[in-house]
Amino acid sequence: MTYLLEARELRKQYADKLALRGLNLQIAPGEIFCLLGQNGAGKSTTINLFLGFIQPTSGAAFVNGLEVAANPLEIKRHLAYIPENVLLYPHLSGLENLALFSSLAGFKYPESELPNYLTDAGLPAEAVRRRVGAYSKGMRQKVGIAIAVAKHAKVLLLDEPTSGLDPKASNEFSELLHRLSGQGTAVLMATHDIFRAKEVGTRVGIMREGELVDVRPTAALNAQELEQLYLTYIH
Amino acid sequence: MRVFSILFAAEWRHFRAAKGLVLLCGLLLATGLYGIYYGTTEIARQRQQLAALPELTRRNVEEMKAKFPGPADAGDIGYYHSTFAVHHPDAWAALSLGLRDVNPSYVKLRLLGLQNQLYATDNTNPLKLLSGNFDLAFVLVYLLPLLIIALSFNLLSSEREEGILPLLLAQPIRPATVIGAKLAFRVAVVLGLVWLLSVVGMLWAGVPLDGRVLSWLALSTLYCLFWFGVVLVVTALQRTSAVNAVALLGVWLLLVVLVPSLLSLGVAAARPLPQGIELTIKQREEIHGGWDRPKAETMNRFFALYPQFRDTATIRERFVWRWYYAFQHLGDLAVAPQAAAYATGLQARHNLAESLNLLSPAINAQTSFNALAGSDLPTHLAFQRSATRYHDALRAFYYPFLFRKVAFTHTDYGQKPRHSFTSQPELATARRGLLKLLLSVAAVFGLGLVLLRVRPVLPR
Repeated sequence: MTYLLEARELRKQYADKLALRGLNLQIAPGEIFCLLGQNGAGKSTTINLFLGFIQPTSGAAFVNGLEVAANPLEIKRHLAYIPENVLLYPHLSGLENLALFSSLAGFKYPESELPNYLTDAGLPAEAVRRRVGAYSKGMRQKVGIAIAVAKHAKVLLLDEPTSGLDPKASNEFSELLHRLSGQGTAVLMATHDIFRAKEVGTRVGIMREGELVDVRPTAALNAQELEQLYLTYIH
Repeated sequence: MRVFSILFAAEWRHFRAAKGLVLLCGLLLATGLYGIYYGTTEIARQRQQLAALPELTRRNVEEMKAKFPGPADAGDIGYYHSTFAVHHPDAWAALSLGLRDVNPSYVKLRLLGLQNQLYATDNTNPLKLLSGNFDLAFVLVYLLPLLIIALSFNLLSSEREEGILPLLLAQPIRPATVIGAKLAFRVAVVLGLVWLLSVVGMLWAGVPLDGRVLSWLALSTLYCLFWFGVVLVVTALQRTSAVNAVALLGVWLLLVVLVPSLLSLGVAAARPLPQGIELTIKQREEIHGGWDRPKAETMNRFFALYPQFRDTATIRERFVWRWYYAFQHLGDLAVAPQAAAYATGLQARHNLAESLNLLSPAINAQTSFNALAGSDLPTHLAFQRSATRYHDALRAFYYPFLFRKVAFTHTDYGQKPRHSFTSQPELATARRGLLKLLLSVAAVFGLGLVLLRVRPVLPR
């Protein structure tokens, strides 16, 4: 089976800290894998390694079967990334930011089509042409989602994407993830939000001190059991 | 190329939004236009001054004719009649005044000893000289790097600090393309300004359309590229915007202020010049000593130089002009080695400074602009040599009148040699300057690219 995301013995050593200890992970098309763990557990390091932002000390990361280190540009055609706090060019409107990032990703949409991506992501229609500098964090997050969706990526890397979103926006985001996963998109989401992980994830993995210590299908656990499991590992 | 053009176009929107930068570009444009105005005004003033000299000479001749209505002793004419050796500026000098403010653009000459006339200049406000010129070359060499720094100190760090870089680098684009597009946009803005100012300056100054147009544009382009290369090096180190700004201003201070000052001190120490005052004193002593020296001794020394006049009558009078001019002439000869050493020393200093100016592209650019404009030291020394030859010609004109006792008539004024000297560009110096700037550009861009290769761009 071809995994859209795969880590093989992925290890990252910083000068004074071993951030990732031989991570092995496979995420198939349509799967939503939620990484849970405390700050410094290695969740963001894993995402950064898949993005090619940092180089592994040993092991390899693969996106759509391509090794990240060897194909730093090609793999980015297959993935979209939404950070915890989406920051955009403040003097451009949401629409202009979307047009810019989409065109950089190689997509040129008709002007009539672009606003739909933003409104589908939950941005109010009247905000589409307003400067991003006046947006709230949640509104910027929605532009980030629109950028990711407009890229038609096979892989979605999410680093605390619902942090700062109101419950309604978080729910809309969960629905969006389900829709994308239904279309075959593989999602890797780092989060602190156990309940959101249970709600949207197909599998959850718990990271502690750079190690993936447990992986469970979410269908096999209810929210309380997942919380209990998580607390067991982090204490 | 597609990504590059998208990023380039995006930079235009970012630039328009940054009102301060637009204002800064406008300020540099205004400063450049003032520089052109300053330079053209100064050269127009010098030209006006030079244009008035023939009228002064004509009036002087009229006065002489009134004073000596009939045939006159040429000694009187040589003493009272003055003429001018003039140094006409090249039109390019309006863009790079060089040394034209400190060195005289004309020398008033009589038949007396040359050396004390050669260095006589008009009185000039020393404070004005100290402040230097505010011409276009000054704007390009000293102020333009500051605009480049203001436009580029946060070339990539702003995106990193604003948190946009992770999203940007998550797209299928190379970090080098992002930096390249940002740099290229700024290069386009700055070169657009530089070329606009240069073309306006050239049209305003009325320069001839020769190869120097391309040389000037190439020099200014390479000089800008050098500073963008410095920006690339600092950007590749991936520090914060504040650190970048301090580092770039430090490089500016080093290359534009400190290195030139140290080079000036070093060159002065390595190529000491004989003191001008020694030359002046020696010449004065020789000339004043001429009054007391036996006339036969003076004349024998003079006749050794001009044997064709040896058959002239022995001087028995208390005073005759030919004896007076003989010891004036000998006064010049007595200091000829010092005068030659002084000129050679100045040229040696210039040569050493030019050979070391690879250390500071700012000096290199200034030297090259001055060389193109014919406003540098070698041009002034060439003018002095030309003025010396003119004085020699005046002597050759007057001496037969003096020694053959031929009366000087009114028609002889018209036979007197005339002088004209127009600055010539030092094209070889400008070519060397171009080559050195090219090397400097290659060095900084090479270093920047190596740094970018060994230090991958981090999004955070």
